[in-house]
Amino acid sequence: MNLKMLVSYATLGYPNREDYLKLVKGLVDAGSDILEIGLLPKYAKYDGPVIRRSYKQVSSWLKDSWGLLEETRRAVNVPLVILTYLEDWVSSLSELLTKMRETGIDGVLFPDLLIDFVDEYEKYVQEIKAHGLKAVIFTSPSVPDPLIHKVSMLSDMFLYYGVRPTTGVPLPVSVDSVITRVRTLVDNKLVVGFGLSDINDMKKALNAGADGIAIGTIYIEEIEKNGVESAISLARTFRGIINGA
Amino acid sequence: MVNNEEIVPSYWYNIIPDLPKPLPPPRDPPDAEFSRIDLLRKIMPSEVLRQQFTVERFVSIPKEVREAYINIGRPTPLIRAKKLEEFLNTPAKIYFKYEGATPTGSHKINTALPQAYFSMKEGIDHLVTETGAGQWGTSVALSARMYGLNSTIFMVKVSYEQKPQRRTIMQLYGANVFASPTPHTEYGKKVLNDNPNHPGSLGIAMSEAIEYALSNGYKYLVGSVLDVVVLHQSVIGLETMRQLQEIDEEPDTLVGCVGGGSNFGGFSFPFIGSKKGTKYIAVGSYEVPKFSQGAYNYDFPDSAGLLPLIKMITLGRDYVPPPIYSGGLRYHGAAPSLSMLIKEKIVDWREYNEKEIFEAAQVFLQTQGIVPAPESSHAIRAVIDEALEAKRKNEKKVIVFNLSGHGLLDLPNYESMMKRIG
Repeated sequence: MNLKMLVSYATLGYPNREDYLKLVKGLVDAGSDILEIGLLPKYAKYDGPVIRRSYKQVSSWLKDSWGLLEETRRAVNVPLVILTYLEDWVSSLSELLTKMRETGIDGVLFPDLLIDFVDEYEKYVQEIKAHGLKAVIFTSPSVPDPLIHKVSMLSDMFLYYGVRPTTGVPLPVSVDSVITRVRTLVDNKLVVGFGLSDINDMKKALNAGADGIAIGTIYIEEIEKNGVESAISLARTFRGIINGA
Repeated sequence: MVNNEEIVPSYWYNIIPDLPKPLPPPRDPPDAEFSRIDLLRKIMPSEVLRQQFTVERFVSIPKEVREAYINIGRPTPLIRAKKLEEFLNTPAKIYFKYEGATPTGSHKINTALPQAYFSMKEGIDHLVTETGAGQWGTSVALSARMYGLNSTIFMVKVSYEQKPQRRTIMQLYGANVFASPTPHTEYGKKVLNDNPNHPGSLGIAMSEAIEYALSNGYKYLVGSVLDVVVLHQSVIGLETMRQLQEIDEEPDTLVGCVGGGSNFGGFSFPFIGSKKGTKYIAVGSYEVPKFSQGAYNYDFPDSAGLLPLIKMITLGRDYVPPPIYSGGLRYHGAAPSLSMLIKEKIVDWREYNEKEIFEAAQVFLQTQGIVPAPESSHAIRAVIDEALEAKRKNEKKVIVFNLSGHGLLDLPNYESMMKRIG
C-alpha cells in the first residue's frame, strides 16, 4: 500500500545554522517524504505572519544560502523542493535553476506563478523542466477549474493545493468541500497545505482525497515556543495521523 | 410585472470560480508589524469571513435571511421604463431593477441583513461600522435591530452635520451614531488632538469603527468591495434574471454604477456567469476617474491600511476625492473580481461628470417619476447613451440597469446642482 505523503517545510537557516540542520534531519527521520525549503525572499507576499517572522530572523545573519543548501543536500536523502517567489528571479531565472541543479535540488515551487505570471506560466514551467528540475505547481481555491485541471497534468511530483489565501492563518474555510471539489479535477497526486495546522483539518483533508499534507507554520511556532526537538516530535505525530488515515 | 416571493432566490451566486483567471489573494504588506489577514478573524463574524473566501459557485441563503429579504419587500420590482423609451424615441427596451424600494432606500441592506444574521447566530450582540453619506449605516442600524442587536455607527462628521435626516433614521432604528472623529477611540482622540475641528473622512471613521469593535469585543461589518459583499448582493441579479424570464425577455446590455462595485457586481455577475447578455457596462464618476486613470495594483481597501492589501483598480488609498454629490462613488478602488473582469475586457466602463449625470437624473425623474440617487444617475446616463446609439443604429436592444437607490435624501444635493448646473 502506498502511504500518503508528509511534505514538511523549513525556512532555510531557521532558527540558526545548527538547529536548522538538526531540524531537517529530524523531519526526515520522523517520516517526511519531501522537504520544502523556503529561500529568503525579498517580499514574502503570500506567506503568513509566522513564516514571515522566520524569514526576518534569518535575514539578519544568513549570507551564504547556497552553502547551507549544499549542507542540507548532504544531510538528507529525500527530494528537496525550493520554495521561492518567481518575482525575485525573473531576470536571473536560468542562473537560479542552474545553481539549484548543481546543488542537487530536485524541484522548485513558485507560489506566485499562477497568480502574478498566469499569462506565461507554461513558459516558466518549461524552463524549469529544461534545467532538469521538477516543477511543482501551486494552486489555490481561486484558480478556475479548467486551469487547475490543466496544470495538474503539468505539475511534477504532485500538485500543491493551498486551501487558504495565506499560510498559517486559520481563516474559516470548509476544508473538505474545497478539496472534494478539486479532487475530481486532478489526476496527479494532490498535496494540501496553507493554514493546515489543526489535526481535524488534516484528517478532513486526507478523508476528502488528498494524497498528502504540507506542514510548515506549525513547526515554526513550535520552534519558537519549545525548540527544534519539539517540532520534530510534531512531525512524528503528523506521520502517525497520515498513516492512520 | 411579476412580483412574488418565489422570485427571491434561495442561494447567492459567487463569480470567483467562473472568473477567467485566478483571483489574486489578499496580502499583508511587506514588513508588516501585524497581520491584517489575521486581524480579519478578530473583526468580522466567522461565517462572513468563511463566505469571503469561499469558492462554492452557489452559497445557500439561510431560510431566516430569505424571510428577512421578503420582509423588507424583496423581490424589488423590475420596471420597464416605457416613458423614458418614448422620450428618447428609441427602439431599445429599457428595464430597471429598483433597489430604492427597500426600506433603507438602497441595495446596501442586502448584505447588512445576512451579516447581522450570522453575527446573531454567533452570539455577537453589538455591531459596529462606519458610514459616509449614511446609506450603509442606515442598513446596518436596521439589520442589527431586526435581529435584536445593538449597533454603533461612526458617521463622518461633515455628513453627520449636513445630512441630519440620515442620522435621525439611524437613531430611530436604535443605533448609537457618533460624529467621527470621536473621543471614543485612540485613533479619534489622536485626530482631534491634532485638529479639534477635523471634518472627518471615511478612512478615519473606518479606523475608529474597527478599533471600537476590537477593543469592545464587538464585530465590524463591511459594506462594499470585499467578495462576500458582492456575493450577498447577487440577490439583485438573480431576481432580475428570474423576472426577465417571466416576461420572456433576453437582456443584451446590463448597466450599473460603481462605487466599490457591490451593486454592479451583485446585479451583473449572475448574468456574466451564465453568459446572458452581451455587454456589461460599469459606470463611474468622471471626477473620481478610477477606470480611466487608476492602476491595477495591490492596495489597501481602507485609507487607514487596517485591512489586507487586495489587487484592484485603484487611484491609491491616499487619493482625496473631489466633493461631488455622489458620495457612494468617491471610493478609490473597485472590487477585485470586477477589476479583473474590466482588465480582461469582459466588462466595459464609462465615466460621466456631474453635469452629465444631473441631466440624466432630470430626464429620468421627469419621465419615470422616481428621484434617483446621484450615484444611480451615472447608470441612467450610460443607459440613455446606449438607447440613443440603438436609435442611430435602429437596434431593438434590451437594456437593463440597476437603479441602486432613490435620491429622496439627496434633495439638498440636487438643489445645489440645480443652482450650479441646471
